[in-house]
Amino acid sequence: MKLAGQSQGYRNGELDLLSVLEVVIAQKPRVLKGGLPNLSFFKAANEALLEPDDASEGVGFWQVEFWLALARGAGLLRNADGKLEPTAAADEFFALGFEERCKRLRDAWLDCSELNELAFVPEIELPGLKRARTVDAVSDVPQPSRVAAMRRAVVKLLVELKGETSLAAFVALCEKSARDVLVNHSDDASWRHVFYRGIRELGGSEDLERAGNWSKVEGGFIRALCELPLLRLGYIAYDAKARTLEPLEEPSPAFTAEVVVQPNHEVVMLGEWPDPAVVWRLARFSEPTPARRVRKYLLDKKRFAEALGRGHGAEELIELLSKLSRTPLPQNVKYSLSDWGEHTESIRIWPDALLIEAEGVEDLETALARPLLEKLAPAKIGAHRVCAAPDPAALRALMPPRRPLFDYSRALPRVMRPARGLTLDAPRETLHFRARQVLALLTRQEGADRFTLDAAQVAQAARALGAKEMRARLEGALAEELSPQLSLALRSWSGEFGSVFVGQAELLVCDETEQAMALALQPEFNTWVEKQLSTTAFLLRAGAGEKVRAFLKQLGANTVRGSLKKGPSA
Amino acid sequence: MKFHLHVGVIETSDEATLTEVLAITKLEARVLLKLAPNVVIMEREDAQEALEELQRRGLHPKVSR
Repeated sequence: MKLAGQSQGYRNGELDLLSVLEVVIAQKPRVLKGGLPNLSFFKAANEALLEPDDASEGVGFWQVEFWLALARGAGLLRNADGKLEPTAAADEFFALGFEERCKRLRDAWLDCSELNELAFVPEIELPGLKRARTVDAVSDVPQPSRVAAMRRAVVKLLVELKGETSLAAFVALCEKSARDVLVNHSDDASWRHVFYRGIRELGGSEDLERAGNWSKVEGGFIRALCELPLLRLGYIAYDAKARTLEPLEEPSPAFTAEVVVQPNHEVVMLGEWPDPAVVWRLARFSEPTPARRVRKYLLDKKRFAEALGRGHGAEELIELLSKLSRTPLPQNVKYSLSDWGEHTESIRIWPDALLIEAEGVEDLETALARPLLEKLAPAKIGAHRVCAAPDPAALRALMPPRRPLFDYSRALPRVMRPARGLTLDAPRETLHFRARQVLALLTRQEGADRFTLDAAQVAQAARALGAKEMRARLEGALAEELSPQLSLALRSWSGEFGSVFVGQAELLVCDETEQAMALALQPEFNTWVEKQLSTTAFLLRAGAGEKVRAFLKQLGANTVRGSLKKGPSA
Repeated sequence: MKFHLHVGVIETSDEATLTEVLAITKLEARVLLKLAPNVVIMEREDAQEALEELQRRGLHPKVSR
């Protein structure tokens, strides 16, 4: 059994994992349709690895794909609104001890369904492996369950190794003990067992024959395991040139690294073996610049604010940095961090929250069930509580019975009704914020559950929101249609309806439509008309009656007073 | 007690800061309720808009998700 040396073991692998995660933090890459980030992310992450892949060798950025799949499998990364980002579970993961972290990642790899190591054997290609790593049903490209079973079988056989062993000997051992695990070779005498369907030699036009090619296909798979997962997860020491492997024993390493905080807000991690737990904490409140052996972190206001949002205190982070730094923190850096902390703490936003509203003298500390307080850990805002919005089903399980739950991502119940005159009935216990906004905008309170439309408030709200939007909000909160009286008042006060003429006026009404049309075409006549009320009726300007009569008399038209029926001329 | 799910909440250290935030983000008219002099409730889309506007201006509030 070999002891971990400079370039062997899980501690190297974990530094690569850290580098990939740091690129995720720095880039927050968008996840494309295939479920993976874009090429620029892969290039940047590959460059940050201890031994980057050469993409021209035909297997792409295998290491990055491997660490990404593992990180997702272990719950360290998640897809949030189409972007990849670290999870709270990643913080918990790096707070664990070295052995526990190694075990967690090994378990994640053994169960990982996103990876198919056969795809990373450079000598073969897999037309049977579709995009997003799904497998064609009529091909022999192994399903994720078979890949996982083969990983476990290979790991199990590692204990049988006695010291340094050639890869060829190990492949032979695997063929003897696990021949049918990855691809089923039990002969049923059918054509299906002549070829590896969907598995070809690189550049080949036909599927590989099964006879004599186990070491090429399954052997290639085992070699791929040795070159990355088994090596980087610390199962074995592997010499790629000599193609030999040996079981590895890796005690908890002594981490040796120093942190230098510079006045330009740059933090440099010096030394070959930084403690991943420390590196991770630093990366979570700064802008990491992953670059193999030299790790740099830029202290940045936005990242610092994000860390405070995750529940860290500014003083706690300053203290952490002070402890890590081999020299006292530069004064300007210390002041900046304190200043950022103060600014950030002065405005707090829950963009998607659950608000538990206390009513009256209700004490939520005693009224709410302990499991709810423990699980959601809501923050206090006066007598109320607020936290990030949980899953509605989980919330319902924790809520006290018969309490109203308003889900603002949906249409809310219409809880107000028009009452007599200009009043609205709005029972207090059913009111949600949208209804209360409408009431606050347009009404004054007259009783516990009764509100009256207020002219000045309506006019002000109409100016701020627009008359139509304001009316739509009120109608959206009403269980019944607006009463005619309410509607008239609302639309008049909001300026939708103009002024109404009330008073004496002179009218000109024609019996015949053609007569009215002919009159309307007279320019002189039009100077005496205030408004045409219909095709045959005109409202005359004040004092214009006599002039119109004289005008009509010239044209031979009789005029009457008081009745539209034909009668004696005036 | 009432449970309001999927709302946006903004809390500031004092009333003046809240007035400033609402003025900067031009969202005063969209406030659903002023829960306290330094706390407002909004639709979550409006709270997200407020957050983005503050960040565009180099202010980085504490965000609880």
